Order: sequence, then C-alpha cells, then structure tokens
Amino acid sequence: MADPLGTMLAFPPDKVKSLSPTQYDTKLHSYLASLEKLPPSVWTKSVDNKSLLELLDPAVNSIAYLKSLVNNVEAVGNKDRARLEELYDQTSIFFASFDPVQVRFVGNLWHMLWDWAIKCSSHFGLIDLSVLSTALLRLDPSSATFTTLHLSLVQQSLALGTPTQALPILDKNIFAYPQTLSKSVPAETVSDEHELSNAFITSESGFSEKVVPEHVLEYYLLGAHVYIGTRNYQRARLFLEHVILFPTQQHCTSTLQVEAFKKWILIGLLSEGKSFPYPRTVDAVVWKNIKSVAKAYDALADSFEKRDWQKYQAEMDVGAQIWADDGNTRLVAEAGHALVKYRVSDLQKTYAVLPVSRVAAHLGLSPEETLSTLTQMMSQESLNATLTQGATPEEGILQFHQPSLTATAPQSDLEAQTKRIETLIAAVRDADRRLQLTKEHVAVSKRNKSAAAPDAELADQMDLTWDAPGTSNGPNVGEDDEDIMS
Amino acid sequence: MAHNAGVSAPTFELEAWSSNYTPPLHPLRLAHVAGNCPPLAQQALQIAITSTKNGKDVALYTRLVGLAKKLGFNELAELDTEWVDRTEDANKRESSRLEQELKGYKNNLIRESIRMGQEDLATHMLLTGGPAPLPASENEPPQSAQTVGLNAAYSAFGKMRDYCTTPTHVASMTLRLLLTAFVQAVSAQQTGSAATGHFNAVLANSNRLRSVGVKDEELAKLQPISASANGIAFLGTGNYRDAAESFLSVSFDLTTNGPIHNFDFTRAVASANDIAIYGGLTALATLTREDLSRRVLGGPFRAFLELEPHMRKAISLFTTAKYRACLDTLQRYYSDWNLDVFLGGPAGHTHGRTHVDALLAHIRQKSITSHVASYSQITLSSLAATFPPPPTSQATTPEAALEEEITTLIQTAALPFRLDLVSGTLVAPASDARAKTHADASAAADEVERTLLLRLHRVNVALAGLEVQPEKRQGGGVPGVPEGWRGSRGVAQG
Repeated sequence: MADPLGTMLAFPPDKVKSLSPTQYDTKLHSYLASLEKLPPSVWTKSVDNKSLLELLDPAVNSIAYLKSLVNNVEAVGNKDRARLEELYDQTSIFFASFDPVQVRFVGNLWHMLWDWAIKCSSHFGLIDLSVLSTALLRLDPSSATFTTLHLSLVQQSLALGTPTQALPILDKNIFAYPQTLSKSVPAETVSDEHELSNAFITSESGFSEKVVPEHVLEYYLLGAHVYIGTRNYQRARLFLEHVILFPTQQHCTSTLQVEAFKKWILIGLLSEGKSFPYPRTVDAVVWKNIKSVAKAYDALADSFEKRDWQKYQAEMDVGAQIWADDGNTRLVAEAGHALVKYRVSDLQKTYAVLPVSRVAAHLGLSPEETLSTLTQMMSQESLNATLTQGATPEEGILQFHQPSLTATAPQSDLEAQTKRIETLIAAVRDADRRLQLTKEHVAVSKRNKSAAAPDAELADQMDLTWDAPGTSNGPNVGEDDEDIMS
Repeated sequence: MAHNAGVSAPTFELEAWSSNYTPPLHPLRLAHVAGNCPPLAQQALQIAITSTKNGKDVALYTRLVGLAKKLGFNELAELDTEWVDRTEDANKRESSRLEQELKGYKNNLIRESIRMGQEDLATHMLLTGGPAPLPASENEPPQSAQTVGLNAAYSAFGKMRDYCTTPTHVASMTLRLLLTAFVQAVSAQQTGSAATGHFNAVLANSNRLRSVGVKDEELAKLQPISASANGIAFLGTGNYRDAAESFLSVSFDLTTNGPIHNFDFTRAVASANDIAIYGGLTALATLTREDLSRRVLGGPFRAFLELEPHMRKAISLFTTAKYRACLDTLQRYYSDWNLDVFLGGPAGHTHGRTHVDALLAHIRQKSITSHVASYSQITLSSLAATFPPPPTSQATTPEAALEEEITTLIQTAALPFRLDLVSGTLVAPASDARAKTHADASAAADEVERTLLLRLHRVNVALAGLEVQPEKRQGGGVPGVPEGWRGSRGVAQG
C-alpha cells in the first residue's frame, strides 16, 4: 500500500482490449477489493500538490475518479459555493467521458454522484440538464432499461419548467426493467456486451432504487405531459396508452390511469378530431372503472365528434370546476379552438369553393368572425386554402386546395421505420421468450396441459363435486319429482 | 290511416284490378286505395263494403264505414246495424259451436279430428277478425293482447302444430300462419301501429316453409311462395337489398302452380304482376348496373318482367345509362305503386313517406352518382336539367334543391366529389394512387409500431412483476409519488 496512486492506476491494465469478459470481471473485482483497502482519507488528499481529480483521467481511470469525486462531494457540504461549482464542473466532465463498462461495477457510487448532480442543478437553478441525460445515455446508449433516475430527470425538468430537457431520455423506448436475478441462474458477466441493458442494470447494481409500479406510471404520465407540451401528440398518445394499458392485478385501477385516460381523450380530439379508437388489449373491467369516473370527458368527446360547437361550449362552462381540478382547463379550451378548425376542415370534404357567407352559416359565426378565424387558420397552416377578399366580408371566397399529396414521407423515412419495426419485433419475441421462462408461466402451462389431456382415466374427468341426493337437499328433490308426475 | 297524401288516379282499372285478389286481404287493399287516392276512393269503398258484407268481419265493416264517413261519402257511411247484429250473433254462435266440437274431438283423442277442428276454429277467427276485446272492467285483469283480434287467429293456427302428423299438415298450417301474419301486418299498417313484428312473423313462417320436410314435388310448389313472402316481408321492413335478392330467386312456376292446400298465393297475397314490380323496384334501387343486366334482365326473373313491360323498360333504360328516361318512366307509375298495399306502406318514421318514395329516392341517388361518375367536372345546372328535383322539394330553384341533395350524397360518402358553390360545379377529386398508397402504408406502419411498443411494454411489466396491486394497507407512502397522488393504488377496484 505504499503508493495509493499506483493502486488506483492499476486498472485498466495494458492490453485491456484483449481480456475476455470473464477475465475482465475477475481483474476488476480484485481491483475493487484493493481500492477498498485504501484508507478513506486518500481520496480527498492531494498528491504532489495536485488533487487526485487532476491526476486521474476520467475516461480511463473512471472508477478511481468516481470514487474520489464522491468522497470530495461528501466532504464539501453545502456552504462553499465556489468549491461546489468546481466539483460540479468536474462531475460534468466525468459524466461526459467516463468508461461505461467500468462504472457498471460501481453503480452505487455512480448513482450517488448522479443524485448529487441533480440536487446541485436545482441548487444552482441550472436549467440545462444535458449533463444528466448525457450521463444516462453514456451508461446505457439505448436507455432501454427503466430506472428511477429516468423519473427523477423528468420530474426535475418539469420542476424547472424546461420539459424539453427530458426529451433525450423520453425519446428512447423502454424495453426492460431492472430485474432481480434468480439465484439458480448463473450471473452474467457484467462487462460483456449485452443485447439488453438490464443485464447490468439489475436490482442489485445500484443504478436504480427499487422500481415500483407507481414509478413507471408516473414516468409515462409525466412524459406524456412533456409531449403534449411539445405538441408531439403521437408520442403522447403512446405514453398515455402505456399508462392506460398498464397491467393490473384483480382488475384494480390506478388513479394515474384515470388521469391518463382524460388526457388521452383530449389528445385524440386535438390531433384527430375524434377520440382514438379503443385500445384492443385493454382490460374490460379496468376500462369500465376508468370510464365511470371520467364521464364528463366522454360527454365532451361526444359533442366534439358531432361537431356540436354550442354543446361543447356549454359542456366546457358547466364542467369548468372539473377541468380545473384535473388541471386540464387549457387542454379543454384548446380542444374547443380545434373544434372550430375541424368544422372548417370538414367543409372541404364537401366543398371545393364556397363563399364566406356559407362558411359563416355552417359555423354559426358572424362573417367577420369567420373571416378572422379563416385567416388565422391559414396563417397557422392548418388550412390549405386561398381566400379572395370581396367588398364585404360575406363576399369573400374561400377556395380549398386539394389535400397536398406531395408531402409524403421520403423513402428513407419508411426504411428507417421498417428497421425500427423489425427491431421491435425481435424485442417482443425476446421478451415473450423470457416470459415463457418464468416460473409462473411454467406452472400455468403445466396445469393447462394436465387439464387438457384427454387420455387420462375417464373417472378422473368426471365431475366429482356433485352432491348425492339425500345428503343435503334430498327431500326437496323428491318433492319436485312428485310435482312433475301429478 | 297511416298516411293521407293523396295521389292522382292510377293507370289501371280498379274493378278489374280488384278482382285479382281474394279476401281477407282484398278489402284491405281496397281500403288502402280509398285512403290514398281521392278520385277512386268512393268506388273502392263501394266494392270493399259490398264484399265485406258478403263476409263475416264486423270489425272491418265498421272500420270501412267509419272511413267512408271520414271521407264524406254519406250514402256509404250508414252503418247497417241490422246486418251487424245478425252477423255478430251468427259469429258468436258459430265460434261456440266450433269450440264445442273441438272439445268433443279432444275428448276422443283423435289427432286428425282435433287438427281439423282447430283449423276450422282458426279460419273462422281469421274471417271474422277474431274475438272483439271485452269492455274493460275494473275487477278483471287486463286482457292479454294474444286473445284479441287477429292475434287470436294466429295463435289458434299455431295450436294445430301439436296435432300435425305429416309434413304436409305442417306445410298447410304454416301457409295459414303466413297468410294470417300478412293480414295482421297490413291491418297494423292501416291502423297506424307497428307492422315490423308481423313482417318478422311472415319471415319466420316462410323460412319454416322451406324446411318442413315435404316431398320434392310439393316443396317445388312451396319454394316460390316462401321466396315471395320473404321478399315482401323484407320490403315491409325496409330491407330492400334482401328483398331484391328474395324476389329474384322466385321461380316463375309461382304463376302456374295454382293453389296448394287451398291457398293461392297469387290471389290471396300478391299477384305475379305485383312480384314483378316489387322485384324490379327493389333490384333497381339496390343492385349494380352489371347485376341488373346480368341477373335481372338476363336471369329467370325476366319472365316476371314480361308481365310488366314498363318495369322491364325502366331497368333496361337504367342499364344503358338513360337515367332521365328511366326516372320519368318510374314517375309515371308512381301512383299505381303507391296504391299497392305493400309498396304503399309507411317506410321509416317520416310521416307519409312510403316504400315507393324511399325506393325512388334510392334509384334517383344511384342515377345521379352513376351519371356524375363519368365526368371530372359538371355544372349543377346541367345536372339539374338531367335530374329535375322531385315536385315535393321545398327549395326555390332546381339548382338549390339539387345542391342540397348532392351535399347529403357527398356527406354520406356516396359521391366522391366536391362542390364549387361559386361557379356552381361539381369537381372530381384529383386522385394520386401512389401518394395515397404511400400515406396508407405509412399510417399502417405507425399503427404496427405503436401496437408493438404497447405489447412490449405489457410483457416487460409482467416480466418485472410490476403489475399494479390492489390496495392492502392504508396510509403507506409510496416512494417517488407526489403527495396528491398518494392514493393511487387501487381506487376503483372492479
């Protein structure tokens, strides 16, 4: 133990690339053990008038750097702002350059540092959370394993009022959750390359707190909020459906699912002019539960789909308290504006050219209001039409253009999508396979199999639960018989 | 009456026409004419009342006299009370005699006698209009609708079933039930109640007719009856598409088969000429041009159409795209058809709208869409010249009426065109099949991707054991869930 720095620099050894994953794991574990033996004080001391953090390279000696950083952070407290900022800078550097394989072994430390960084960012009032999202993506470029860090990041970005900061993470699809590894299955080598990142982000790895359903539900619901805010309705719909279709036991229903359903209805009205078709895989009982507490929204959707503007307005006013309580007032109002637009766009299915006076008659507005609505829609490019001004507003002429057919997606988009779908199919198959390996599945299919076997003894198939007459209600049976005969 | 819209005089001779039919539907057909056609009302009522007085149906007689009074034919409106009393008395005596007889047969346990006794009683009920409802009294429970009027006749015929020993008996009974259901349906229409249930009974019985299990030669006689009855029932319930299919499958043997089991369908219910009209109209309203020329003009149904040459002409005009001439031809026979008891029945809930109106409207719509389909742009005025709006339209100019019609057509997606109101033209949409396919494919791919993601999510949640659990404990804080959402576990357990 003469030279703590030497110990720290012992990993990675030369020719680290030539090590097999198993060798790598063994080496790293012994390295970690040797680091444990170092007295805690060495981490904050400086060597040759240079701090450890200057001597170590975060990209190469990631573990030692991380350990030193965490020790420094714990030592500094909250007072020394200059020092805090210095450490935050170093954390940023670390998060941008660490070796993603090494840190897999020290998830707890990494998690601590990340937590500190997020606290720091709110302490400093930083609105740029890219350090944090970069860190997550560096650790797991696919960001496919859900961790509580995902949720913290989204919460933080919403708390700071900068929801777009969470997009790098939200845009990645979640393919897995940290799993508790079964003891009977030999642990996989952590440093190996894995198809799914939950091979190293497990419940023991320290990267995540214990995940409970509420974490996931909240993540998706908040994520949907972010997408609604950025007008990405397609993705918002996906996130909300994730929540609505969240599997539950014994048909119980979460409030978060109800929240999601309400938003889901409104998003459907906004983006497509009608409610989205009911998801097919939904649990019917859960669906009924949800609908029974969200009737007001159904009524709203109903009048929207009938393009009944007066009724929608009335519903909007009557339910003002409901929308306010749910925090949906602005969405409801926005859907109200959208309703007018949809009424205009509906006209273009029937008409190619028509005078403004007719538009006004259809909308139930005055010609002046109609004109301004039309102008506004055209300037927002939600209406593809030309307006020819007349002497009075009524004499104006609205000409709808053919729905633009040139704006189809380029070939490359479709190819990318095909690729995405192929990956997804592979992932679904993989997940299905893993599901088939669970104990529950094996137990159930075993039971099904034995129940379905027709070759068994006939006696076994007989219903043995029948009560012999005369045991419990025998006399009654006899009386009934007599009645029939008489 | 269900509708009061007067129609002009028809092209046929009433007396000759009415001699085609036999009671019990005969007076009902005449009553329908009287109620809808002022020029013929008096004559029709005259014939109807005379023929009713030859029969035994007192209720019908009273109804006809009431109708005459309402229409102001005073010489017909006088109730022959002496006849009424006499007939009522005779009817009562006759029914109690038949009931006694039936009771006697039942005691003797001879099935065939019971069957015949039952049939006699039921026939008597059908011809007398069934037992009249007893005056309501406070002590007795309200009378079941099944024991009053024609319903009683229907259920009396139904009681024959238990005593039928051969398939032929069953067939005979089913024919009686069929006729009764028709009479019930027509009476219901005329008294303004719902006829749908009775038409469904017609449908049920005519279907049963096909599967009674009689010998092939007898079945060959029953099948055309069954098909025609089906068609009329579908027509009566407004199901024109099925009606057309049923009528097209009627064999022309219907006209030559003659009566079977004392039941002559062509005289009792609808003549071959009627079938030709029903079939022609419903086919014209629902089939494509290709089907019309192949199956209607070129198929076995043509034999029927030869009986009604104007119908055949209308169909061939339609298939040769002479829509205007076709519609004009149809319009010429509008009143004839409206005076038919089945075609003139009420269609839908709109007051005074008959099946003829509905069918003609269908044909007109079809004509317009087929006509417009061959243009890429067409002015409303030229369209209005080809298809002058029906006289019932309330719009001021023909163009305005047509515009209204076209708008509904476009909105129901029957016509893939758009209106240019400023220059008054209909514009065909520019179609770009490639772009459309592209967009469709893209939408489908999006949907697939979304579904896969949802499915993956579900499997993963299940795999990680993260299903939402029903609430077990109270007040337990859930980490990571904000204060307001603490009750998020199992709020509404099903």
